Amino acid sequence: MNHEDFETILPLYAAGQLAEAERDAVEAHLPVCSVCQADLALWQAVSGEIRTANRSVAVPPALGERVLQQIRRPSGLAHPFNRAWQLLRAQTLLVHREMWPAVAALMALGVIVAVISGHLEFVYFVAPMVAAASLAMLSGQENDPAFELTAATPTSPWKILLARLSIVSAYNLLLALAATLVLLGFAPPHLLGTLVLGWLAPMAFLSALALLLSLWLGTTNAIGLTYTLWVAHYVPYQLIEQWTASSAWTGVITAYQQLWQKPPLLWALAILLLGTALWSAGHPAFRLNQGVSEGDQYRA
Amino acid sequence: MTSCVVTHKEPWPAAMVSPEPDFRLLQRIAAHDEAALQELYAAYGQRLFAYALRLSGDPAAAEDVVQETLVSVWRAAGRYRGEGRVLAWLLGIVHNLALKTLRRRSLPITDEMELALPAPGASPEAHVQAGEEARWVQKALQSLSPEHRAVLELVFYQGLSLEEVARVCQCPVGTVKSRLSYARRHLRGVLSRQNVEERS
Repeated sequence: MNHEDFETILPLYAAGQLAEAERDAVEAHLPVCSVCQADLALWQAVSGEIRTANRSVAVPPALGERVLQQIRRPSGLAHPFNRAWQLLRAQTLLVHREMWPAVAALMALGVIVAVISGHLEFVYFVAPMVAAASLAMLSGQENDPAFELTAATPTSPWKILLARLSIVSAYNLLLALAATLVLLGFAPPHLLGTLVLGWLAPMAFLSALALLLSLWLGTTNAIGLTYTLWVAHYVPYQLIEQWTASSAWTGVITAYQQLWQKPPLLWALAILLLGTALWSAGHPAFRLNQGVSEGDQYRA
Repeated sequence: MTSCVVTHKEPWPAAMVSPEPDFRLLQRIAAHDEAALQELYAAYGQRLFAYALRLSGDPAAAEDVVQETLVSVWRAAGRYRGEGRVLAWLLGIVHNLALKTLRRRSLPITDEMELALPAPGASPEAHVQAGEEARWVQKALQSLSPEHRAVLELVFYQGLSLEEVARVCQCPVGTVKSRLSYARRHLRGVLSRQNVEERS
């Protein structure tokens, strides 16, 4: 053993934790090493202080009874479900109250326009936009009056975001389904599957994108960008192609328009975006709008 | 066993140290035997509370940590596989919960602190031998980070080996050694500064 080895095991020697062989080695080394003698004195002082301080610690008398009371409370599987239910209920109250009727009214308007114009596919166009707008308004100081309070609670920001996301997405899904069912009064029943599949995957993708962008860039930018992307795939680019006769441009446009026709790809992207959004909620330093919102706060 | 059975209305017994091996005790807790949990508490409650108190520095927080630890043991005793001493397993739970509580209250403490070492100066021997050693040791210990303080507590009061300390702190044995080494240099540094102050 060299000096560094003795230095490492000296605290264990002082604590009486060494095996006989190592203890003997330390005792043989100590008389010839003044540095280790000083270190041993130091560790013995530390050991004495720590032991004295801890021995005087008394356990609060009510602690044992509190533990018994807690373990006797019914919990088991019901406990996490109860917590999740309480979180969902609490977060429902914190989502913008105006959002619920506004989303329903927009969806109803979409149905009316679809029926009057005779273009039932109009619901494909409206449902993802309505869902994206509502998800872009889930979080952040501009939307949440209890933002500071929520940020200070022990519940993780990603859990809060997930709870709100679940509530609002379920609401959007129900509204879109209801709209589709209404349209079935004007279309053959066997088109139900086609109608639902028409908006389901784009709605999931656009909603996830809007949520992530709202965390990074703020609600207004998120809505603007997702709407641009959504509307962009309806633009008849064949007309523009007359001015930009580039094969690369045509390839990009074709790939972009085909993206919206591939539900598995849209679902995969939606899951990826959602995961990033939830991760981002727990890491505010990575939000691109952090500096802006802090600046706004100081100005206010 | 019969003497340990406690009805739901009885208070927690003051001292009921189990003659059974700890592993058997945990098996009974896994089968939701309240008396076994009480025996475990009687055997280790003081050590767990002392450790939680040293890490958190707040009796109320330490109480919550120990309560949460025992409730976790009640729910998860079946997961203990007999690897290492039960005390080290329990202290590992306390360690995690206490540091989580601390981090909720303040910024996390990183190993970067180990780079900011105090310069070793005058020899501490004379002061170690002096009657006021308790005062400077207390002062020096209080200035250590919870992670470094934890290692000293686990070695000197809980009587854990380096491997057990590493398991409790969820870090490599090398990190435990470096923390001990840092603590030694830090304690010497505090004492040196005190020497200078007293001379001037």
